[in-house]
Amino acid sequence: MYPNKTVALSGVSLHIQPKEFVTVVGSSGAGKSTLIRLLIKEEEPTSGKIIVGSIDYDTITKKNIPHLRRRIGVVFQDFKLLPNLTVYENVAFALEVSGVRTSEIKRAVPKILQLVGLAEKASNYPGEISGGEKQRVAIARALVRNPKILIADEPTGNLDPKNSWDIIELLLKINKFGTTVLLTTHNKDIVNALKRRVITIQGGRIVKDEKVGRYIL
Amino acid sequence: MITFWRIIMSGFKNVFRNAWLSIAATAIMVITLVIVSFFAFSALFFQNQLTAIRDKIDLSLFLKDDAGVDDVKRLGEGIRGISNVKAVVYVSKAEALERLRTSSKDGESLAKTATEIGNPLPASLEVKTNSLDNLSGLNDEIKKLPQANLIASSSLENSDVRKKVVENIIQISRAVSRVGSVISIAFLVVSLLIIFNTIRMAIFTRREEIDIMKLVGATKWFIRGPFLIEGAVYGIIGATIAITIAFPLVNVARPLFVSYFAAGDVLTFIADRAGLIILSMYSLGITIGVSSSYLAISRHLKL
Repeated sequence: MYPNKTVALSGVSLHIQPKEFVTVVGSSGAGKSTLIRLLIKEEEPTSGKIIVGSIDYDTITKKNIPHLRRRIGVVFQDFKLLPNLTVYENVAFALEVSGVRTSEIKRAVPKILQLVGLAEKASNYPGEISGGEKQRVAIARALVRNPKILIADEPTGNLDPKNSWDIIELLLKINKFGTTVLLTTHNKDIVNALKRRVITIQGGRIVKDEKVGRYIL
Repeated sequence: MITFWRIIMSGFKNVFRNAWLSIAATAIMVITLVIVSFFAFSALFFQNQLTAIRDKIDLSLFLKDDAGVDDVKRLGEGIRGISNVKAVVYVSKAEALERLRTSSKDGESLAKTATEIGNPLPASLEVKTNSLDNLSGLNDEIKKLPQANLIASSSLENSDVRKKVVENIIQISRAVSRVGSVISIAFLVVSLLIIFNTIRMAIFTRREEIDIMKLVGATKWFIRGPFLIEGAVYGIIGATIAITIAFPLVNVARPLFVSYFAAGDVLTFIADRAGLIILSMYSLGITIGVSSSYLAISRHLKL
C-alpha cells in the first residue's frame, strides 16, 4: 500500500448499519486514518472490497471520485476550511462544486449554519473564529449536501474538552436526524461516555467490536 | 452552465489576487506578441512586395508608332500562345504618358515636357511571365512571330536589373523570416516558461486549497478551470496592450520601410489586415496563456 510496503490495514472486515453511530478507536498509526482514506478513495485497497450504501468502490472510475466524495460528508481534525472564504462561502463552496443553483445555495446554507449554531458568524473568515467554531463550519459543509454518511476523522483532536463535547453533541444530533456517523478518536472520555458501538483497531487489525464499547487499549 | 460561470469568476479573482505575478506574466506576453507579430508581418509584407514586383512588367515590347491596331492584337495573341507567358497587356501611348505622370515626383513636369514635344513615348505590349528565368529565350521566340516587325525594341536590356532587384528582395525576406522565426520561437518559449512558472507559483501557494477542493468533491475541471481562465486573461490583456503598442510602432518604423518601398504600401498593407492582426494576436495570446496554465496545473490534479 505504501512505497516501503508497510501494510496499514489488513484483514479488516466490518459492516456498519444505516443510521448507526460508530466510533473507531486506536492509537496513532493503528490505521484509523487509512480506513478513512479508503472510504473517500484517497487510497486504493491492495485487496478486498469496499461498499458504501449501494456504491461498490471497484466500479468507481477516477472520473467519478469527486461524485463519490460529494455523497460522503467528511470532517477532519485540521478542519480543512478555505482560508480566504467566509464561513458562509466555505459551506456554499461544497454546493457550488456540485453545481447547485445559487438560489438553492442561498436557501440551504443559512439553514445548516443555524443547525450548527453559527448563523451570526456567517460573514466571518476562518481566521476570526475559534477552533470549535471552525469544526462546526466543517461539519456544516459536510452536511449541507445531505450525505447518508458523515465521517469525522478525529474532529476533536485540536479542541479543548468543552468544545470537544459541543462537537460530539452536534454529531449525536446529526445522527438522530438519520445520518450514519463514523467517528474516529482517541479521546477516552468521549468514547466511554458515548456508550455506542466501538471498533478498536490495533496494528492494522480490528481487535474488538462491541455494541456498547469502552476505550481500552 | 452555473458551474461554468463560477469557474470564470474564480479565474478572474485569481488574476487580481496575485497582482504582481499577473503583471509579470502579462508584460512578457506583450513583448512576445509584439515581437512575434512584427516578424510574422514583416515576412508577410516582403512576400507581398515580392509578388507585387514580380507582377510588374517582366518584358516590355515597344511598338512602332505606325503599328495598326489589328496587327498589334494579332501579335498579342501570338505571344499569349507561348509557354511561360501569363498575360499580355496593351499600353497605349496616352497610357504610357499617364504612367509617366504618376510614376515619380518629377513625373508631372516630365510628362508636361513630353506633351509639348508631341508624346514621344511608344505604345507597348507588356508581357508577364510565370518565371523570370530565360527571358531572352522568350524574347527570341517572340521575334519569330509573323508580326514581330511591329516591335521597335524590347526591354530585355533592362530586365537583368529587375531580376537583381527581385533577387535582393528574396534574400532580404528570407533573412527576415529566418531571423524572425528564431527570435519569435525564443520569445514564445520564454513567455511559455514564465507564464508556466507564474501559474505554478500561484498553485504552490494554494496547493492546500486545491487539496481541500478535491476532498470536498470538486472535479478536475472545477479546479483546473480557474487557472486556465487566469492564463487566458493574461493572453487577452497582453494582446490588448500589444495591439495598442504595435500599431503606433508601425508609424515609428515607417521611415525604415519608405527607403525601400512606397510609403503607402506598408500602411495599407497593415490597414488591410488589421482584423487579421488583432485576431491572431488574441488567439496567440490566449493559446500561450491557456496551454502553459494547463501544463502547470496538470501535475497537481491527481485525485
